Amino acid sequence: MKPTLILVGADKGGVGKTTISRALLDFFARKNVLTRAFDTENPRGSLKRFYPAITEVIDLENVAHQMKVLDTMETANVPVTLVDLKAGGLSYALDIFERIGVLEAARNNQFTLGLFHIVGSSIASLDEIGEISKYLNGIEYVVTRNFINETNFFEWDQTTHRKYFANLPKAQEIDIPKLNEMAYEQIDLSGVTFKDFIENRAADGQPGKFSFVLRGYARKWCSEIDEEFARVKMVQDLLTGGRGTPAA
Amino acid sequence: MASRFAVHIVCSDQPRNGKSLLARVLSDFLLLDGRDPFLIDISHPEGTLRNYFPGRTVLVDFSNIRGQMKAFDTIMQAPGRDYVIDVSSPYLDRFCEAAKNLNLSDAFREVDLAMAVFFVVDAAPDSLKAAAWAEKMLKADIFVPVRNTAVGSALPARFDGMTLNMPRLDPELHAIIENRRFSLRTFLQGDEADVPVRLRPRLKDFLQSVMTELRAVAPALSLVRLRSGAA
Repeated sequence: MKPTLILVGADKGGVGKTTISRALLDFFARKNVLTRAFDTENPRGSLKRFYPAITEVIDLENVAHQMKVLDTMETANVPVTLVDLKAGGLSYALDIFERIGVLEAARNNQFTLGLFHIVGSSIASLDEIGEISKYLNGIEYVVTRNFINETNFFEWDQTTHRKYFANLPKAQEIDIPKLNEMAYEQIDLSGVTFKDFIENRAADGQPGKFSFVLRGYARKWCSEIDEEFARVKMVQDLLTGGRGTPAA
Repeated sequence: MASRFAVHIVCSDQPRNGKSLLARVLSDFLLLDGRDPFLIDISHPEGTLRNYFPGRTVLVDFSNIRGQMKAFDTIMQAPGRDYVIDVSSPYLDRFCEAAKNLNLSDAFREVDLAMAVFFVVDAAPDSLKAAAWAEKMLKADIFVPVRNTAVGSALPARFDGMTLNMPRLDPELHAIIENRRFSLRTFLQGDEADVPVRLRPRLKDFLQSVMTELRAVAPALSLVRLRSGAA
């Protein structure tokens, strides 16, 4: 099966890029799909804190680091490569990938390229969609509305929505529900993955002492996210080896 | 072998229909049986149970996540005892939603805790609907609809399944047992001084009647657990 490169990004800061990256890595771990991740929040990436074993911090402006990501997709023996783009890094990444032929290679089906574009409720986020639309041909584009910060998508009325999505007929849209704040804080504080938190395992692999209630809310949140991720075609292909919709 | 410990949940969709009295009788029943129940009173800010069971009661404000943690984390961190949860009617929906979201019945089973629900079905027909909803949400090992004769009940006279009947309690006795220093348990153990002689048989009858019905719950609970293969 072709390797899959997933970019997670947004030009706007504070919309939950790393949270979605963590949720995706967690989702694939629960589905037994091997992943590796690159954190572009150089020099100290927050994704690496939660997934130290599979995450490398890189500087996407550095050619050697670009090679680390792109030239090893076939040889890494890991079906999914995820890149958590730092705030403001989305347009830059797409632009550089266009210029060095990465997007072209994806369009030629050499690998699957997906983009989870994390958006907030403001028109600025919709403008972002307009700005990057020129790169999206051949990319599995997933508009990811993140409700984790209790965002209210009031500005996304139907007319505005139609206007911005008119040129993106293949765009997929998913919603990330809000996770209880205390659960989120406890997970962040302990530096564990969502999966380990739910299973009450500390970062060092020892049994954790996490709240049963907060673990329960995290489990419910993950199951809701699982349903959202499972609607994405690229994810379905990964789960089924490209044989279509996974069994319920 | 059947589960040794259980979480007993006393609830209703309506106020003032004998929930807390039943929770008291149930707790004293367990204590008289040599068990060591801990009480979780979800009736913030009132919290009357603390008066009767000082030292073994926690008052919980279930309107926030900290309250839910106080209730359920307490149980999950120490599953080796019995629990009685008194859920006041304003918190019923929230309690049931939380129980469903947290897969409470499965979590209890994982730590070998049985779950019994006593739902006081009030006189209004909607109370029966609320009982059916709560049963579906809570997924307890055993769900016991309760008839309180004093308030009436929408529960059909012929109900297929275990029920619990609370006889009418003399209003004069009500006033006596509501005193925060009155213990139903010590009354049954012979300390009858606070109750006028003429009323003592009535209180004994009431308590023995309810406790006799409660006595049938534990074997039924064991049977359900054995049938489900969980015990």
